[in-house]
Amino acid sequence: MKILVIEDEKELARDIVKYLSEEDYRCETASDFATAKEKVSLYQYDCILLDLMLPGGDGFDILEHLRSQNKQDGVIIISAKNTLEDKIKGLNIGADDYLAKPFHHSELAARIHSVIRRKQFDPSNLIIQNEIKIDLLSKTVHIGNIAILLTKKEYDLLLFFIGNKNRVLSKSALAEHLSGDLADMFDSHDFVYAHVKNLKKKLSEAGYGNYLKTMYGTGYKWEL
Amino acid sequence: MIKLLDKPFKAFTIYAMVILLVSIPLYFLVVDWIWVTEIDDNHEIIMERIENRFEQAHVSGHDLETILHTWNTLQPSSSIMAISENITRQDSIYEVTKYNEYEGEWDRFRGLQTVIQIDKKPYLLNIETNVEEAYETIFAIGLVTVVLYGILVFGFIQLNRKISKSVWDPFESTLNKLKSFDLSMSKEVSFEPTDIEEFDALNRTISKLISENVSAYNQQKAFVANASHELQTPIALLKSKLDMLFQDEKLSSEQSELVNAIQIPLARLTRVNKNLLLLARIDNSKFSDISEIDFAEKVEKSEELLQDYIVEKQLDFHKKALGKCVFLCSKFLAETVVNNLLSNAIRHTSKNGEVSVEWDETGFSFKNSGNEALNQDLLFKRFSISTTETTNSGLGLAIVKEICKQNGWDINYNFLDHFHIFSVRFGKF
Repeated sequence: MKILVIEDEKELARDIVKYLSEEDYRCETASDFATAKEKVSLYQYDCILLDLMLPGGDGFDILEHLRSQNKQDGVIIISAKNTLEDKIKGLNIGADDYLAKPFHHSELAARIHSVIRRKQFDPSNLIIQNEIKIDLLSKTVHIGNIAILLTKKEYDLLLFFIGNKNRVLSKSALAEHLSGDLADMFDSHDFVYAHVKNLKKKLSEAGYGNYLKTMYGTGYKWEL
Repeated sequence: MIKLLDKPFKAFTIYAMVILLVSIPLYFLVVDWIWVTEIDDNHEIIMERIENRFEQAHVSGHDLETILHTWNTLQPSSSIMAISENITRQDSIYEVTKYNEYEGEWDRFRGLQTVIQIDKKPYLLNIETNVEEAYETIFAIGLVTVVLYGILVFGFIQLNRKISKSVWDPFESTLNKLKSFDLSMSKEVSFEPTDIEEFDALNRTISKLISENVSAYNQQKAFVANASHELQTPIALLKSKLDMLFQDEKLSSEQSELVNAIQIPLARLTRVNKNLLLLARIDNSKFSDISEIDFAEKVEKSEELLQDYIVEKQLDFHKKALGKCVFLCSKFLAETVVNNLLSNAIRHTSKNGEVSVEWDETGFSFKNSGNEALNQDLLFKRFSISTTETTNSGLGLAIVKEICKQNGWDINYNFLDHFHIFSVRFGKF
């Protein structure tokens, strides 16, 4: 999987690359408008992370350029300009997702995972990991032949874990994933514990291996 | 409070009264003096004429006595009496009061007593003229004065009204403009031109003051916006670095707890910064996504997002629709209002408490149980401290208030029956 990180803040780009390269992603970076435009024109990526404010130009122009060339690379806008107008504009021009800075890397990884999956044109839209089988269209989860009934939040969490396998996920990152922007209004995110516990219980009752680990005092990890 | 014009008016009235009161005795003295001098002069003339005419008539002896007798009987105002030759009398002027039998009142008389020569014999001539009584004169003058005073005061009042209407017009218009002026609405104020020097100076001074204030306010706004904008990148980096650190397998559990502990203030910093940016954007009214908002739908959405927190605190949450609540607003702002008010209510309710939302055609309200009323004055101010909770960015309600202001809604806080109530009422659209 090839990913292009278009981000002028080099430190941030480096962190993103580092976080993502532990999956089977190959990352390239572009830190200004010209480089970004060149790379986008020359190569094909599975997913492009696009910062809107770039030295030398506007990120929207890159997106427009890409779509005018009929390229179907997945694009996630990562921007500090957290305005609804930008979000709508970006999605209208053809971005697949919009993530406001600052974000947790785990959230970004989950979004990339989801965008790439959607772009893969797999008609069955199935995620299979060891014994588990997730149908993204009907939003059903099977282990072997046993169907597992998950709540919407448990299902969201499961996808989040799978998109961040072998990473330590903090409670606040999970809470932010579930409640969005509103999570940082609250001190306690204990409800995350309840959801994870229920998910774990349902999975193990269906005979799934113990992949979901609780890291004491820090968070959770989906270990494969 | 009294009106500015009434102040000199009162002084003028009192001054006029004093002068007019003093003028009454003064008028009287002058009038009386003229009156008496004129009578005395007249008496002198009459005396000379009588003397001359008797001399020219050449009457004497018996005839003279008959004439004098007739004179004294018929002439009411003068008498001529024979006196012995050796008596020499000087002219004397006197004043007497006599009882008038016909009118039944006392009359004042001015008299002249002198000696005249008729047929070489001395006669005592006495001429008296009725003078107006002092009290009558005073009464008449007093009456005229009072009437004049009345007219004067009436005139003052009328003039005062007329003047205050026309002269103070530019002042009133300036005052009205100032009353409706709101610094945060960033609208320039222009005053109507006036030909009165003082008001013109006032208008110019106020205009200058306002434009200075507006520019200071705008600078401050721009500063906050720029500062929070500049903070975004370092915050993003900080979050990124913490995430990276968190993945380090060599991290001991103590260290990862420390990293977790850093996440909390970082989240707060993020929130404050986001809210500051949002406030700056609301102030600049840069929202174009206006559409019809169904309040019930937004509450539903917000409830779904906050469900976990409601369950965690075991709150009794209910919604009550008393009517359809649909209004025009930016979708984003409407969601912000609902999210902020609901999360505010949830955050400030203790475990097992009660939170409810009510709405109808005219507005909506959020209620949550609590123990004591909050300080109304500080509640909607930025960064005011109404609780000791640390997650509170101190801006949630300020944002709600700002959004309400933008849309012309009224937001109020009440504390009733152990419930905090935040209610938003739509004005007229």
